[in-house]
Amino acid sequence: MHKKRTISLFLLVIYCVLPILVLFALSFSLNWVYPNILPQTFTLRHWKEFLFDGNGLQQSFFNSLTISLFVAFTSTLLGFICSKWIAYHKRRRLLLLVTYFPFALSPVIFAICLKFYFLKAGLAGNLPGIIIAQLIIAFPYATIFFTSFWNKSIKDYSNIASTLGSSPFNSYLKIIFPLAKSFLLTGFFQCFIISWFEYGLTNIIGYGKVQTLTIRVFQFIGEANIFYAALSSCLLILPPVILLWVNKKFVVHQTR
Amino acid sequence: MKIKTSNSISFLLLVVFAIIPLLLGLGYALLYSFGIVGVLNHGFTLQNWEAAFANNEVLYSFFYTVGLSLVSLFSCVSTGIFLALYFGKKLQKGIGSYIIYLPMAFPSVVAAFFFFQFLSNAGLLSRLCYKLGLIKSVTDFTNLVNDQYSIGIIAAQFFLTLPIFVLLYISIIANENIERLSLLATSLGARKSQVLWRITIPALLKKSFPTIVLYFIFKLGTYEIPLLLGRSSPETVSVLIVRKMQRFNLMDIPQGYVVAVIYALLVIVLLIFSFKSSHTVADA
Repeated sequence: MHKKRTISLFLLVIYCVLPILVLFALSFSLNWVYPNILPQTFTLRHWKEFLFDGNGLQQSFFNSLTISLFVAFTSTLLGFICSKWIAYHKRRRLLLLVTYFPFALSPVIFAICLKFYFLKAGLAGNLPGIIIAQLIIAFPYATIFFTSFWNKSIKDYSNIASTLGSSPFNSYLKIIFPLAKSFLLTGFFQCFIISWFEYGLTNIIGYGKVQTLTIRVFQFIGEANIFYAALSSCLLILPPVILLWVNKKFVVHQTR
Repeated sequence: MKIKTSNSISFLLLVVFAIIPLLLGLGYALLYSFGIVGVLNHGFTLQNWEAAFANNEVLYSFFYTVGLSLVSLFSCVSTGIFLALYFGKKLQKGIGSYIIYLPMAFPSVVAAFFFFQFLSNAGLLSRLCYKLGLIKSVTDFTNLVNDQYSIGIIAAQFFLTLPIFVLLYISIIANENIERLSLLATSLGARKSQVLWRITIPALLKKSFPTIVLYFIFKLGTYEIPLLLGRSSPETVSVLIVRKMQRFNLMDIPQGYVVAVIYALLVIVLLIFSFKSSHTVADA
């Protein structure tokens, strides 16, 4: 029984790790002819081009990073502010339901419905437009996520601080933020990942002009360039893997 | 005074980033579908709605999307329950607790790309079958992407969603006294299978029902995976809408908006249902 369980667990590990191994192997390859299981030629060429030649992929990586960091920071900050109001509102459930709608709709369909306004406002095909469009998805998520933070004990702590003469700013600085630290970090990571993974909305609002990593993966797949598609995929996976590890190692443990 | 200012800012944020975009987007889609706005439209008409349902394409697309979402969710929920019950503790500590998170680091587009490389005619699985002598040439391997049964799409969605349900069920088992309930049932004479089918699984399903509905909604709108791994017919709703909007035939655009309006209404109804059910679960 114990052996069976160990074998099953090993298979589960393989299932979770195999995609990463395959994508990394392909990103270091030049050709992969059927029926070989492993690529014939391994090379550092693609990674060197990405790191040192300053080719388009590096630019796409930094585009994605800029957009995601900005979206994550802004939506975390605004979501945290708005979530308090919703959490303590007498119509909390209705407000939460309204907040859920933009987040639940398919981003690509939502983007198609909003494209007209982005065009009129001169926000289509540029970085600010994509950031605003992604905020429309990430902000509701952040608000929903932080609503669970504002429970009765947080309210009690704030009330005690106010009774003892603390200003609202001081209460936030010395009580709320320290208590919310791990929540804020996890919320930031989640919003970063939402933005980092986004393809449909970015493509529709950006008209493919702002080249993010997800858009490049699609382009490489369209060109049947599986080695560059694998490299872009690895670049897309790396930050979330690091964030998930940090989240699990530090934030989750800290919360416990 | 300061509290009032803070509340006004919060209200304004919600209006600017959530309510206005939603109303503007859905309003535009609705007006376009009825011919009230749009370059080629000439005033109120029901023609676009009639044209959208003139053949079975739209209806078929909705049935296909719903079916695909149900199959994908059923496989994730059942495997998630099994893994949480079978490996529960092993996935909460050590290397297992990190590994199970890994698929969550995959964007849909990357998962779709990997499964294309894994399940296609010339993919990794086909190569393994060849090396094992199960097939003699590349054509002997049944293509599992862009296929009739949407196996590639289901496999990719399963890969991305499974960890979420495993973690959800592990947390429900830990927090909702499932083990105590099972113990109580056993001490009252219930058999192992009775405990599993009459206590554990119903309790887990009941607690996770709002999340299941929410993931069903997310799956209805999935785009990248069916775009890469699906066939040209039938298409999922989001792929169909984007195709109608971006095709050279401008007459198809209003029909695209018709489908978008129906999809949005479906999402709204399901979301309200999910909220009501979460209320019921919380009360229980």
